[in-house]
Amino acid sequence: MWFVRLLSSSIGKKLIMATSGLLLVLFLMTHAAGNATIFMSSDVFQGYADELHSHPLIVLIFSISLLVLVLCHVAVGLYLFWENRQVSTSRYIITKRVVKNSFASETMPYTGLVVLLFLSVHIFGFTFSPKHVDISVTVKNLLSNFFYSLFYVIAFIALTIHLSHGFWSMLQTFGINHPRYNTLISRLTLGIPLFFLLIFGGVALYFMTGLGANY
Amino acid sequence: MSSINLTLKIWRQQNSDALGQLETYTLDAIHTDMSFLEMLDVLNEKLTKEGQDPVAFDHDCREGICGMCGAIIDGVAHGPEKEVTLCQLHMRHFKDGDTIVIEPFRSRAYPVKRDLLIDRSALDRIIQSGGYVSVNTGGTVDGNSIPIPSQQSELAMDAAACIGCGACVASCPNGAAMLFTSAKVSQLALLPQGQVERKQRALAMVEQMDKEGFGNCTNAKECEAVCPKGISIRNIARLNKEYLFAAMTEG
Ligand code: HEM
Ligand code: SF4
Ligand code: FES
Repeated sequence: MWFVRLLSSSIGKKLIMATSGLLLVLFLMTHAAGNATIFMSSDVFQGYADELHSHPLIVLIFSISLLVLVLCHVAVGLYLFWENRQVSTSRYIITKRVVKNSFASETMPYTGLVVLLFLSVHIFGFTFSPKHVDISVTVKNLLSNFFYSLFYVIAFIALTIHLSHGFWSMLQTFGINHPRYNTLISRLTLGIPLFFLLIFGGVALYFMTGLGANY
Repeated sequence: MSSINLTLKIWRQQNSDALGQLETYTLDAIHTDMSFLEMLDVLNEKLTKEGQDPVAFDHDCREGICGMCGAIIDGVAHGPEKEVTLCQLHMRHFKDGDTIVIEPFRSRAYPVKRDLLIDRSALDRIIQSGGYVSVNTGGTVDGNSIPIPSQQSELAMDAAACIGCGACVASCPNGAAMLFTSAKVSQLALLPQGQVERKQRALAMVEQMDKEGFGNCTNAKECEAVCPKGISIRNIARLNKEYLFAAMTEG
C-alpha cells in the first residue's frame, strides 16, 4: 500500500510531524483569537464561549480531531526521538555543534513534553471544569493563583521555543525552502511563536498581576 | 615559513571487532604550510621508524575532489575551516602547543575498519539503488540540443559538487544521510535526462537510505555547516518534495 510505505519511511514520519504540527499551529491561531476576547470583558468572553458551546457537534468534532493530532504528533515525535537516541550522543569523545543557536532544535522533545504536561493540566482545569460555574469565572479563579499562572507562562515559553524551530522545520519538511521566501519564513518562525506568547502569556499575566481582577 | 609543535590524540583501533582508544603522540616542528594529511604522513614516518604501527587513514586525490579523506578534528568533521576537506585543511589553522583530537567519522552505517579508516560503502549502495540514468537514449546528440535553463543547470551542478565524503552523516546528531542522498537525487531530478526515472529514483534511494540504518533528519542543519562542498539543505527540502510526490503517484 502506497501510504503504508510512505508513512513507514523516515521522510513519511517527518511528514506526519509536519502535518500534525501545522494543523496544531492553525488551531492555536483560532484559540488565541477566541481567548483574546478575555481582554475585552468577562461578558464578551462568556458570550464567545456560550456561542461556541451552543454548537456541541462542532466542539465534539474539533476535540476528537485535536486529540488524534496530538496523539499522532506525540507518538511519532517520541518514536523518532527514541530511534535517534540510539545514534548515541556519546559517539565522539569531543562533540561540537557548529550551528549557532541550536538550542531549540536540540530540545524539541523536551519542550514538546512540557507542552504535553501543560495540555493535561489545562484540559483537566478547563474542559472538565464544574459545569455549573461559568467558564469566565473558572478562568479568573484558576489563573488568579500565582503558581498556576506561572506554570502557564513557563509552558508558553516552552511552546515558543518549540515553534521557533518547529515552524521553519515544518516548512522544510514540506519542501518549502527557496531563497526568495527564506527571509519571510525566518521572520514568521520568530513572529508566530512570539504572537502566541503575547496572547496566551498575556492572558495568564493579566490575572497573575491582578490587572484582570474585575474584568 | 613558521613551524609549530603539537600534541595529537588519535583514535587507534586494530579492526572492526577490537576496542579502540585514544593514543597520545607529540610532533615537533610541523610546517604551517603543510596540509593536515601531510602532518599525519610525518607522524606515520616517525612511527614507522620507531617500529610502531602507522595510523591508518583514507586519502586519494589530496586536492579536495575525491571524497576519500575525512576525520573528526576536535569534534568537527573535516576540522575548523569552512568548506574544505581534511586534505585541504592546512596546519596554519592551528597554534603552537595545540592538542588536536582526531577521531574517525562515526555512524551506525559506518563500521570502523582500522584507526581512522571507515567503511562508507553504505553511501555507495544508496547510489547503486537509483543514483544514475539507465534509460537508453540512443546515439550522442548534438551539444545544446536539449535546452536547459541556466538556473536549473547551476542548481544541478551545485548538487553534483557532493564528493560523497560522508561528513554530513558523521556530524548529524541523528546520523542521517539526508544531505548526501538529497544531493544525489537533486542533481538528476533537476535535469531533463533525469526525468524518466525521477520517481523510482527518489523512492528507491530513500528506501535504501532507511535500510542502511541511517537516522531520521530533524533539520538540525549540522550537515550543511560542515559539508566541504557547501551542499545546501535546500536539497533536503527538494528530496522531501520529490519523495512525497513520488510516493503519492507511484508506489
Ligand atoms: C504535546 C506534546 C508535544 C510533543 C511531545 C512534541 C514533540 C515534537 C518533536 C520531538 C518534534 C521534532 C520532530 C522531528 O523533527 O522529527 C516536534 C516538531 C514539531 N512540533 Fe511538536 N510536540 C508537541 C506539541 C506540539 C504542539 C502543541 C505544537 C503546535 C503548536 C507542535 C508543533 C510542532 C511543529 C510545527 C514541529 C515541526 C515538524 C517538523 O520538523 O517537520 N508540537 N514536536
Ligand atoms: S553532502 Fe557534503 S558532507 Fe555530505 S557526502 Fe556530500 S560532500 Fe560530503
Ligand atoms: S583526499 Fe581526495 S578529497 Fe581529500
